[in-house]
Amino acid sequence: MATILLEVATPDKGEVYAKEINMLITRSICGELGILPKHARLLTELIPHAMRIKEGSGETQLFISGGFMEVTPEKITILADAAEAPDDIDVDRAKEAYKRAEERITTYKQSPKTHEEIDIDRAEAALARAKARLLVKGVPIP
Amino acid sequence: MANLQHIRRRIKSVKNIQKITNAMDMIARSRFNAAREALLSNVPYVAKTREITRRIMGQMRGQEYEHPFVKTRDELIAEQQEGAGKFLFVVIASDKGLAGSFSSNVFKEAHDVIEYDGTGENSSLDDDGEEENFHKKNFDALKGIKPIAKRTPKQQRQMTATGGIAKATGRGGGKTSTGGTSEAREYHDENYIDGIELITVGRKATTHFKQRGYNIIKSYHGISERPQYKYAKEITDLVMERFESGEIIDVTLIYTQFKSAISCTPDDVTLLPIVTDDYVKASANLKEEYIYEPDVVSILNDFLPRRIATRIYGAMLHSAASELSSRMNAMSNATDNAQELVGRLNLFYNKVRQAGITNEINEIVGGANALE
Repeated sequence: MATILLEVATPDKGEVYAKEINMLITRSICGELGILPKHARLLTELIPHAMRIKEGSGETQLFISGGFMEVTPEKITILADAAEAPDDIDVDRAKEAYKRAEERITTYKQSPKTHEEIDIDRAEAALARAKARLLVKGVPIP
Repeated sequence: MANLQHIRRRIKSVKNIQKITNAMDMIARSRFNAAREALLSNVPYVAKTREITRRIMGQMRGQEYEHPFVKTRDELIAEQQEGAGKFLFVVIASDKGLAGSFSSNVFKEAHDVIEYDGTGENSSLDDDGEEENFHKKNFDALKGIKPIAKRTPKQQRQMTATGGIAKATGRGGGKTSTGGTSEAREYHDENYIDGIELITVGRKATTHFKQRGYNIIKSYHGISERPQYKYAKEITDLVMERFESGEIIDVTLIYTQFKSAISCTPDDVTLLPIVTDDYVKASANLKEEYIYEPDVVSILNDFLPRRIATRIYGAMLHSAASELSSRMNAMSNATDNAQELVGRLNLFYNKVRQAGITNEINEIVGGANALE
């Protein structure tokens, strides 16, 4: 089976993933993308999500907190703000972050005018990150 | 004859200095390890960002109109004719001294780049786009080009509003740095300094350039030893804001590149604009076009600022590691020198002491002889 090299790099952990894989399923700002070997050249922006990596018969997941993806026929390069394998994810922290973000969003939605101090974009991004982290870990979302 | 007490005091003070330099050495050493680790884990990210930028820019030929940060050299020249033309430099040095020649090396490089006037040896000719320092090349291209049209600020605002590349008249009209002179420029020349803007990181850089009358638009202190991404982001926002105002034609970053614990060299990198001519050679064999999702402009709008911030953050990490390794070297040298000095002073002290004893014996013997 044909393979394609997947490289994931983050600013403070270096290269976190470098392997030949069979298929990558990822989510860009335009929607879900499946990348197979010999894909056309592509450049896009990723949103926080749980990336699915297919290699051989198995499938692993990798949390990506947003970033850029460049695809060439031989190589996929992902520049992520943060990337974590399931083992590295702190479930308690993610749960807390989820709760906090959700609370903020609900208070904001009830009366946006009185809660102008809440940065709704940031809260929503935090919620998406926490959700994706829990998803990678297989923890049910509260 | 030297006083014994005097020498004892000197020995003591040298020993105290030695203790201090030794402590500084150890502090620098432990911080250096952290800084080097941070740098090493950042390097692959920066390298990949650069690779991607180069590949994309190789494809950009003929599409330069898509984004104000991406230009051909001809467009750059055209813009200079329209009257833009200030240079912006970001200089990264340290907050503290006592790091050997670290700061002065950066400043030397900075003056070398800032005061480049197209004369002297041309190091940009053999540049294959690997180093990404195009300032001198840009300068050479712009040299001798006089602004032929001057836009009023109003026209400029209209340009911006209509989405065109903003162009403004440099302050002082035709008196900008590149006002078509080929004679050597002096850095204390008022007209020349008028065409330069500086952003400094580190107290040392600020005082150095302030003394020499440069126009520092912003300085950052207290961030150079432990760099954080958010500061790099702040600097990036400022750089882009200045560049988008249309007054700035070229942004260069000057920092110290960390190569190994004993070798750090100052380096300069062009942040903006991205001149596609420089990237074409590197990717001459690439013919396929990229698919951009959602489209070129929005991707570049997000990607290019990221690239600049990455570059600045990387440079800050390089600079921090270099500073600490320079301090380590300087301090361990100082400690060694102090050790040697103490040894020599001890020898001197004993000589003087012995001379004193000999003298006393002589006096006693002399006195005894006189009594006989």
